[in-house]
Amino acid sequence: MPVVDIDTDELRRLTGHDEKDDDQLKEDLFGLGLEFEGETEEGDLQFEFAPDRLDRLSVEGVARSLRYHYGDDRGVDVPDTNDSDWTIQVDSSVPDERPYVAGAVVRGVDLDEDALDSLIQLQEKLHATMGRKRAKGAIGIHDLTMLKAERIEQREIGEENDLEKPEDLTPVGGDDTGPTDVSGPTITYRGIDPEGDEFVPLDADKGMTPAEVLTDHPTGEEYADIVREYERYPAIYDELGLFSFPPVINGQRTEVTTESRELLVELTGTDQWTIDRMLAIICYALDARGATLENVDVVYADDAAGEHAGDHLVRPELDTREKTVSHDRIETTLGIDLEMEEVIDLFERSGLDATANLGETAEYEVEIPPYRTDVLHPADLVDDVGRAYGFDELEPEYPDIGTIGGRHERSRLERATRSALVGLGFEDLLNFHLSSPAENYWRMTEYLGKDVSSALSSEDLSPDEREFLNDEGLAFEEVLDDEQLRDVVTDQYGDVVGFGAPVRVTSAYSEDYTQLRTWALPSIMHVLENNTHRRYPQELAEVGFVAEQDDEENTHVAEHRTVAAAIARTDATYEDIKGKLQALVAEFDVDLETPATEHPSFIDGRAAEVVIDGESVGVIGEIHPRVLVERDLEVPVAAFEFRLDALAE
Amino acid sequence: MRLPERQVAALEAASATDAQPIPDLAAEAGIDEAAATTAVFELEADGLVEVESETEGSVSLTDEAHEYLEDGLPEVRFYRAAVEAGAAAEPVSMGQIIGAAGLEGPQVDIALSNFARKGYGQIESGEVSANPDADPDSDPEAAALETLAAGETVDDGDILERLDERGLIEREEHTVRSVLLTDDGVDALMAGVEAAETADRLTPEMLTSGEWDDVEFTDYNVEADATEAGAGKVHVLRQAGERVKDVLVGMGFQEMDGPHADADFWINDALFMPQDHPARTHWDRFALDVDPVGDLPEDLVRAVENAHREGVGSDGDGYHSPWSEDFAREVALRGHTTSLSMRYLAGAAEALSDGDGQPSEGGDLEPPQRYFSVEKAYRNDTIDSTHLLEFFQIEGWVMAEDLSVRDLMGTFEEFYAQFGITDVQFKPHYNPYTEPSFELFGRHPETDELIEIGNSGIFREEVLSPLGVECDVMAWGLALERLAMLYTGAEDIRDLHGTLADLEFLRNAEVIY
Repeated sequence: MPVVDIDTDELRRLTGHDEKDDDQLKEDLFGLGLEFEGETEEGDLQFEFAPDRLDRLSVEGVARSLRYHYGDDRGVDVPDTNDSDWTIQVDSSVPDERPYVAGAVVRGVDLDEDALDSLIQLQEKLHATMGRKRAKGAIGIHDLTMLKAERIEQREIGEENDLEKPEDLTPVGGDDTGPTDVSGPTITYRGIDPEGDEFVPLDADKGMTPAEVLTDHPTGEEYADIVREYERYPAIYDELGLFSFPPVINGQRTEVTTESRELLVELTGTDQWTIDRMLAIICYALDARGATLENVDVVYADDAAGEHAGDHLVRPELDTREKTVSHDRIETTLGIDLEMEEVIDLFERSGLDATANLGETAEYEVEIPPYRTDVLHPADLVDDVGRAYGFDELEPEYPDIGTIGGRHERSRLERATRSALVGLGFEDLLNFHLSSPAENYWRMTEYLGKDVSSALSSEDLSPDEREFLNDEGLAFEEVLDDEQLRDVVTDQYGDVVGFGAPVRVTSAYSEDYTQLRTWALPSIMHVLENNTHRRYPQELAEVGFVAEQDDEENTHVAEHRTVAAAIARTDATYEDIKGKLQALVAEFDVDLETPATEHPSFIDGRAAEVVIDGESVGVIGEIHPRVLVERDLEVPVAAFEFRLDALAE
Repeated sequence: MRLPERQVAALEAASATDAQPIPDLAAEAGIDEAAATTAVFELEADGLVEVESETEGSVSLTDEAHEYLEDGLPEVRFYRAAVEAGAAAEPVSMGQIIGAAGLEGPQVDIALSNFARKGYGQIESGEVSANPDADPDSDPEAAALETLAAGETVDDGDILERLDERGLIEREEHTVRSVLLTDDGVDALMAGVEAAETADRLTPEMLTSGEWDDVEFTDYNVEADATEAGAGKVHVLRQAGERVKDVLVGMGFQEMDGPHADADFWINDALFMPQDHPARTHWDRFALDVDPVGDLPEDLVRAVENAHREGVGSDGDGYHSPWSEDFAREVALRGHTTSLSMRYLAGAAEALSDGDGQPSEGGDLEPPQRYFSVEKAYRNDTIDSTHLLEFFQIEGWVMAEDLSVRDLMGTFEEFYAQFGITDVQFKPHYNPYTEPSFELFGRHPETDELIEIGNSGIFREEVLSPLGVECDVMAWGLALERLAMLYTGAEDIRDLHGTLADLEFLRNAEVIY
């Protein structure tokens, strides 16, 4: 969740509430959904909040919300903007992947340290949230006085510019958007060759090409992934040349300092709406500090990429929107009766304006300011009314609805099986569904540490495989990967319990948890291994989830529930575990047979298939000593595992 | 006075003047020593005898020492054989002497090392010369062994030390208990005691013969701890889950079931989570390395895509985020069990991957409905004491024509009250899929601390409308582990769940009911 750092002195000043101490502010902010998290090194208070109200990412926005909360402000407020002077020209060379731009000019700013910090914080927080780490939208703020742009005819730009691919520059306009539209000072957003030009980026002491920035500049390295695959890199030019490389870094020339009085804010991104909303939030914050906003013309070349080709936009876009919500909807959702005046009052206290409409159904036309990016549907307006009313004022009421409760059939079967196992003396376990090839396969086989050539007896091996395995003296795990181990097991034993194809995790954090387990006995063996210092006998069981790859399934994952149990004690034998299996199965109306089988985890001659009602559903036997020794166990272990659904009716 | 037989025997054998060690007393009473010990303590408890304890050292001979008592010490045998072979005059080869002495195995080394130490002679380069003045008949170690074997004591500490080092004796300390009659004991004897017939155990024979009626059962120490019985137990987290299920079934909820590995469509898209939401990025999703799902309900996919792009209703707005069906078809481990709720609400619950022929539990649901699940969800992250990759999510929802925030509050207050959590607080919150949304806070029943106990809300129309649901649905979710940690006081979640579990913790965990 986003965190905003608040200098409470600033907050008191911006709200005009000098009398509020920090504790009162904390309490008031909690009421708005901003939870106190701690303090920064500079002594600012940190508040965490849900990522819907991104207009609260700076002290100015938080102050605005508080003023509505205190009743100091009511209704929608839209800052004034002066007519445009500056133009952002979008060149036809603009990168296809990032064709959109927006901007505003801000004059008369008074940036002391606090205000500058707050602006930079807002910029970074918007990058992290709406901007999706700058991939979707990135903000560049420049000292306007450091930009040079003559009042020139648009057509001259292309002729004068000899820096980069002049043949790519297509004059904008034509008959409808003539030079008069772009007669003011103009900067150009375009795409350039990664090595096509040089500029001095922030925090650098020499000129670099955009490509060099990505490899040699720390900020460049951080954001390189966004543009690396682009054919042309985004670049913004004024008359003096390249001054910004969005979304990576600005040039040093236009760096904003506390001395800056006039700013150019530009945004580039993959979606016009998103950067327009980010710009609106920035403009509201600067307006709150007394700056004057000035429009910027954004002129897209006719053949620029994106859906605005040939468009002439005026930015910032600070238009309000309207949505309609019915009175009934508000009353139903909140569960209370309200007067219409009361509802209008609640809207205004939320920073919205509402007009009652007494038609067939009573409803409200609600005006929504441009920084409210979270309002997608009338339900979001109902939520605002609820918050302004105070949800904690509502009296809880148990709904008068009759329904019949019940357990799912599988859940009842699991419970019955678990209860039967516990009755047989087993400790019920609850293990992870995630495992690793080492645990799930390798450490369950007799092969570990064994000479690989011993697999040569298998008749199903191809000549190639034979040659591969004929590597005398090496152990299996030194020669085979996980897939090959499964092949050897299948060659030698056929399809055996536990050695199905793994469902792997694409990006695992830990090598211990890289796949779903295909069976549960490895988990039980792991618990035994971790508890050799605990009292014996240890009789453990689990009814749990296993999965393997299966292309017959819609998801390509076959999920099953399995019943696994093990007895570890000085005299554990096949007979002991068979006795338990018989007793367990006897509780369900099914037939059990245990024909002899071979399995790489069990001792030959002491392993059997678990056949229930004629279907082979599992395995039972004495665990192979190799598996026990690998796990430092000093007692024999007898175990079984079979599919839970075999017990179902 | 009637006393159990063995007590009578012990009492009669005891003396009021000479304290008797228990073995002597047992011999005199004609009962075995264990019975005599038990009887003496019983009598002491009744004040009839006095028991004095003294610690005594004792020395016993090992099996090796007993061998030497018969055959002689190896070094003495070696010396005699050496003298016999004329080594007192001229050096004789060692091998010859060993053979003559009949020494074998470890005895050879023992003989050689002690031979020189005791001054019986020298061995140089395999040649043995015997000291003619040595006197094997007065070997002090052999003499000490003889003395000990005769039951007498040896006072020479150095000799004992050496015998101990050679492993010929074992020195032990033990307690000798002696018994003396008290005045009450004397009085009792004077007044006369007779034996009552007693029994240790009730046997089947006693029951059939009727003998049980004639015997007196010896008293057990009923307060003493017994050997603990090994018992199986349902896993403590499962117990917590069962408890939650009980409560929810009691509140009229039906249980849901469905796949753990599912299309992103059901996990996120149906929930109106934009595809570029931070939680859906590469590292946070639990993506699986399998092909995308084959079938998704086509109409539903279009309706969900439309909700994402355009919003729902005449006044609705969509997200300005990319949306692709390919992403929706990718398979991942569910990050929450809300994917089940989506399937049930869509009537697509039959797509169970279990393959066990379960019929559809969803279908076209008509209000009112209540559904729940207590099932695993997954988070792709690192493990620590409060976070695992897998956790149980309690998920529940209520469907009705009209639902208000007050209904939501009332339902959850009832639910949490069942677990002793009262004074539930509702903090307005934001979820992409519910509006209004609330984080739920409650007081820890033990510590009174305010803790987060869930997340809830009323599903947005952008979620419900594509699924074809035309009434209200409110839902909530909560980690079962959080409830269970409250119950068990477990501080490390790894004790509670998974292969790192400590069996002793599980065995000792208090039951949850």
